[in-house]
Amino acid sequence: MGRDDAVGTVKPTSPAAARGAQTELSLAIAGVRAAIVMRDATLADIVRQRYKGFLSGGKPRWRIALDVDTVVPPAVPGDVVVRRDGHPARLAVERGDFSAILDLDRRCGRVALNAPNEFSIDSFLRIACTLALLDVPGLVVHAASLIRGDKAYLFCGRSGAGKTTLTRLSPDATLLSDELSIVTMSNGHARCHGTPFWGELARAGEDRCAPLHAVFFLHHGGRHTVEAVRPGDALKQLLSTVLFFAREPELTARVLGIASNLVESVPCFDLHFRPDAGFWELVDHV
Amino acid sequence: MSDRYVVRNPETAWRVYDGQAVILLAGDSTLNTLNAVGTYIWREADGTTPVSAIVARVCEEFEVEPAQAERDSADFIDKLCQRGLLMVTESPQERR
Repeated sequence: MGRDDAVGTVKPTSPAAARGAQTELSLAIAGVRAAIVMRDATLADIVRQRYKGFLSGGKPRWRIALDVDTVVPPAVPGDVVVRRDGHPARLAVERGDFSAILDLDRRCGRVALNAPNEFSIDSFLRIACTLALLDVPGLVVHAASLIRGDKAYLFCGRSGAGKTTLTRLSPDATLLSDELSIVTMSNGHARCHGTPFWGELARAGEDRCAPLHAVFFLHHGGRHTVEAVRPGDALKQLLSTVLFFAREPELTARVLGIASNLVESVPCFDLHFRPDAGFWELVDHV
Repeated sequence: MSDRYVVRNPETAWRVYDGQAVILLAGDSTLNTLNAVGTYIWREADGTTPVSAIVARVCEEFEVEPAQAERDSADFIDKLCQRGLLMVTESPQERR
């Protein structure tokens, strides 16, 4: 199925839906395909435009109903709360601008946004990815990621670490993300995936993936240096950049397990760099 | 402490690399790292081994004087209890 086929209109199935046609868009991020079902035309337009590089055909594994509900009680602005909602696999996700329920077992959810806002949709999808990827298994990491010569490289760091700078210095590499990257594990092998989640670059990554060749923890420096990091120290650094909001012990244990597998499978390094492309000479030779 | 038992908070997830435990507490996502002695105590904190027995093993493993080991272990256990990583009980936990 081509990409144009991913955008379809389904018939209304309830009195509420009868007010207007539903739009169903299928998004695939890191291979996790989700049908996003919307009754609000503005919302559908935003999703179609914002995630155009990640619209996909095929059968979705997830189904998310996305709607606008102006009576959503405002939480603390910017504060994300993810808590169990009865069943262990059913999670309530709340922020000042949206409220959602996700069922990890049934792979479905519904989201109520305060307003048809691109930023709110993106924030919800980022959080949803952290939860949906656990089954893959995979992680969302505060990291820039690039493909160069069929190898993917992950550059981890919080805000200000230089993620966007590094991607701007790499015009010949394929951009996977300048802000939030996704790594999945399969049989002891890590792969890095492009994401639609951007930082200062304001540009989505390519919908591609490649074997993860190395992980770098970013540090500003006066010169370029690369130093190997042992798995224990790498795990600590990696965990400090993993995006995850749920507080459930079982889910936390899964995050730790995936992160452990990653640092045991892929060589990790501290990368001190200054803002010029010379760091690739070191990165290419690790 | 000698008649007490320590047990790891079940809401923690942990791994040991190079003899050092990396512990993640689910409730607040805090990350803690323990040194070799701390990691030894952490591993032994199964809720069924008395603290006195753990201290005795620390003395053997790390060649520490019993008085110092008892004092340091008590401080360490207090600190981890404050951080919500360990819990102290008066009686042994049932084995699962």
